[in-house]
Amino acid sequence: MERSSLDRKFDRIRDLEESGQLGGARGNRALRKLLNNPLALVGLILFSIILLASIFAPWLTDHDPGKINLRAMLQSPSAEHWFGTDKTGRDVFARVLYGGRVSILVGLGSALLSAAVGVLIGCYSGYKGGWIDIVCLRISEIFMAFPQIILVLLLVSIVGQSLLNLIVIFVLSGWGAMFRLSRARMLSLREEEYVQALRSFGVSTARICYKHILPNALGPIMVNVTLTTAMFILAEAGLSFLGLGVPLSIPTWGNILNVAQDLRVLQNNWWMWLPVGAVISLFVLSVNFIGDGLRDSADPTQQG
Amino acid sequence: MLVPMLLVISFLVYLGLEFTPGDAVSHMIPPELASQVSAEKLELIRESLGLNKSFIHRYWAWLSHAVQGDFGHSLAGGVAISEIVLDRLPATLELSAAALLISTIFGCLLGTYSALNRGTLRDSGLTVVGMLGVSIPEFFFGLVAILLFALKLGWLPVGGRLMPGFDSWFDHLPNIVLPALVLSLMMTAGVMRYSRSSMLDALNRDFIRTARSKGLPEWRINFLHGFRVALTPVVVLIGFRLPTLIGGSVIIEEVFQWPGVGAEFIEAVRGQDYPLVMMIALFSVFAMLLASLIVDVLTAWIDPRVRMGAK
Repeated sequence: MERSSLDRKFDRIRDLEESGQLGGARGNRALRKLLNNPLALVGLILFSIILLASIFAPWLTDHDPGKINLRAMLQSPSAEHWFGTDKTGRDVFARVLYGGRVSILVGLGSALLSAAVGVLIGCYSGYKGGWIDIVCLRISEIFMAFPQIILVLLLVSIVGQSLLNLIVIFVLSGWGAMFRLSRARMLSLREEEYVQALRSFGVSTARICYKHILPNALGPIMVNVTLTTAMFILAEAGLSFLGLGVPLSIPTWGNILNVAQDLRVLQNNWWMWLPVGAVISLFVLSVNFIGDGLRDSADPTQQG
Repeated sequence: MLVPMLLVISFLVYLGLEFTPGDAVSHMIPPELASQVSAEKLELIRESLGLNKSFIHRYWAWLSHAVQGDFGHSLAGGVAISEIVLDRLPATLELSAAALLISTIFGCLLGTYSALNRGTLRDSGLTVVGMLGVSIPEFFFGLVAILLFALKLGWLPVGGRLMPGFDSWFDHLPNIVLPALVLSLMMTAGVMRYSRSSMLDALNRDFIRTARSKGLPEWRINFLHGFRVALTPVVVLIGFRLPTLIGGSVIIEEVFQWPGVGAEFIEAVRGQDYPLVMMIALFSVFAMLLASLIVDVLTAWIDPRVRMGAK
């Protein structure tokens, strides 16, 4: 009889066990699975490089991202200016590094905040049910009835442009999905026996919710945080590109790309927009790789 | 669900507009003349327009007009909003339909191909390409496409929809190629990933084994039996992608100077043309709710299980 790959795998594990090499697996199982996934590993490395480069921007470049130097206008890339200079002689490399700080802050910060809001409300209303649940569900439906960018632009036009406003707007537009997700997990988990046991012991609702059930729902939530981060980074870039996101005085990845709306810049000064576009794409790609790896490693049906 | 939802959202959006600076009168009078008009006169104008009534009254008045198809006027130029939207809508529909068509065809084909070649190099290659597709900002991809195909090679126009003097459908075929392809990129990647996993799921079912044991040719099993079942979640996904499509088209229309509703929306946000912003946002909500309704109907049409379950 032909032996399947599972048979071979089983044999290999048994051999290892007999020779005493298997040992107790060290470290977190999900983390180990994540690190064994080549794409996720590439993602983690890329993510760390871009993140660290942004955080340690002052050590990586001597140029001030906002300093205007009229003697160095529109220079193409050189040893002095790695990504060249823009129309007012500002160093593009420095702007990309410092811009990364704001862009990543907006993307990651908004994603974590909307997760916090969504999960906090979603867990409670999913566990409690009743009228609280219905009210929260209806509110989230209202927010989710808008196409995301339309809602964001509508709110931008109502409250005006600023960095803080943008984060708040992103959280408003993003919490609904997190709410739905954690609520749905809660609805299935609250019927589990250990929850009933806790309830019969008289453990308080909040404690059951956040201390005992939430950790079991964390896997899909983490995956969603990464996907939302990717989405918000793209949204910030898009909005700032249009001049409607972060105010232009603050360098962000989207604001640097803003100049490419001019066809002359697009055609003649590729260094002003191509590298930063590539950095955004790579960063979002790395976040997506991590998210995909997390999805696989949080899935218990996949061995690792 | 559609009507109450629209009512609630229109109320909230109207409420939001209350917090924006200025009202209709301050927008009617040019700023340089504003100081010459006495306060009493302003008050009179406000009263004649019904602006001093309570918020609920004004909302009610607005709503009763809106139901009759009178959506008010834009602040810039005072053109009727319904006219602006009707004028811009064909361009947006054209672009969205083209992108929807392209992404559905390519997404399903590539996804199925990927699933049938599961675990091979081609499969993982397509997966990585798909990841790239959802990671590149659409407008950046659009810029690269403009640079390459319009500016460097000169094959296709930079943007716009119609050259002056041409108005037949064929004349703007070259104009729609770039925006439609760029717009469909992200969706194609999404549809591909989804149809791949959906197809893999379908191929593992019992009825596929039954079909195979009947000795049916492999292509028949894959396409007539597997694909049809795999299609249902894909249709749902395409429905859910509509917001991405509407959202994506806002920025893509701006990049390619495509005269659609999205570009108008951005103009309105930039010019703080609040009534126009509000109405376009409401129309988009309407479109979304309508789309989800259509998805429900389509799913029932494709999947007999849903149809039977409803009875």
